[in-house]
Amino acid sequence: MAGASMKDIKLRIRSVESTMQITKAMQLVASSKLRGARARMEASRPYMKVARTAVWDIALHNTGAQSDYVIPREIKRRCYIVIAGDRGLAGSYNANMFKRIEWDSRDANCCVIPIGRKARDFYARKGVPIVTEIEKVEGLTLETCTEIAREVMARYDDGTYDEIVLAYTSFVSVLTQKTKLKPLLPLDAHDAPERTNRQMLCEPGADKLLRQFLPEYLAGLIYSAACDSFASEQAARRVAMDSATKNAGEMIEDLSLRYNRARQSSITQELTEIVAGAEH
Amino acid sequence: MALIHLTIVTPQGKPFDADAQRVLVRTTGGDVSILPKHIDYAAALGKGEARVTEADGSVRRAEIEGGILHVASDQVQVITHHFKWTDDAQN
Repeated sequence: MAGASMKDIKLRIRSVESTMQITKAMQLVASSKLRGARARMEASRPYMKVARTAVWDIALHNTGAQSDYVIPREIKRRCYIVIAGDRGLAGSYNANMFKRIEWDSRDANCCVIPIGRKARDFYARKGVPIVTEIEKVEGLTLETCTEIAREVMARYDDGTYDEIVLAYTSFVSVLTQKTKLKPLLPLDAHDAPERTNRQMLCEPGADKLLRQFLPEYLAGLIYSAACDSFASEQAARRVAMDSATKNAGEMIEDLSLRYNRARQSSITQELTEIVAGAEH
Repeated sequence: MALIHLTIVTPQGKPFDADAQRVLVRTTGGDVSILPKHIDYAAALGKGEARVTEADGSVRRAEIEGGILHVASDQVQVITHHFKWTDDAQN
C-alpha cells in the first residue's frame, strides 16, 4: 500500500513540475513582451496630449454654434469599442473588462466592436450585436484603427449610434491596471480645457477641419488605448503566472515531504518485518 | 532672434521637439510657412514635403501625409500619423 501511494505522489510531483515549467515560460514571455509594450505605450502618450489640446482648440473655436461632436445627444443606442486580450491566463484582466461593461451598459441598447479574441468570443457567446471585429490586439496597426474610427464616425453622423465609448485597460503599474471607459463621440468633456476666447484662424474652417481630423484623432486614441491595454494584459499575465509558479513550487515541496515520509515509513515497515522474522 | 517651439508627434513617437526658426508644411490649401509671432492657426495637412529650419539654421526635410498643423502662441505642433525624415544625414 505504501508503495502504491509513493508512486502516486511521484506522478503528482511530475505533473506539477511540468505545469510549473509552463507557467514559468509564460511568465518569461509576458515579461519580455511587457517591455516592448511599455515602450510603445510611452511613445504614444505625447501624441495624445498634443492632439487632444488641438482638437479642443478647434472644437471650441466656433464661437456661437458648437460643433456636432461636442454636444451630447439623447442616448438611444451606444456602441462600445472593447479592447480585451487575445489569450486567457492573465488573472482577472479579461473578466474585469467584461464585468465593467456589463454594469455600464445595463440600461442601454448597445452593440460592440470587440478587439482581441477573448472579447470577440465573449460577445459572440452572449449574443450581443457585433459591428465589426478585430481578432488581434497584438500588433494592431494604425491603419486598422483608422478604419474603425471612420466606420464609427460615419455611423455617428447618420445617427445609428448616439454615443461611442472606448473600453480599455489603463496601465498604472505592473501590479495595478484599471479598466477605463472613455467616450470618443461626442468628445469627452472631461478632456476639455478651460474655455478661452482666443482668436484662431482655421483652414478650411473649424467645422470642416474637425471633420477631417477627427478620424485620425480617434484612430490615435484607439491605437494608444490598445497599446495601454496590451501592456496591462502582459503585466496581468506576468503577475498571475508568477504566483502560479510560486504555488507550484510550494506544492512540490509539500509533495516531496509526503513522498519522503511515505518512503521512510515503508522502509521502517520492511525493517520491522525482517526483525520480526529473525526473532522466530 | 525669436524662435518657435516645434513639436512633431505621431502615435509612435515624437520625431522632433525643439526650438526652430521656421517650418514649412503642405496644407490642403497649399504650402504654409510658420515663422515666429504667427497668429494662432490650425490647418489640415495634405501629402507633401515639410522643411524644418532648425535653431542653428540647418534645414531638414521630411515627408508628411495627413494630420493637422496647430499654432498657439509660438508653440507649433504638427500632429500626424505619417511622418518620415527624408534626409539621410540624421536618422
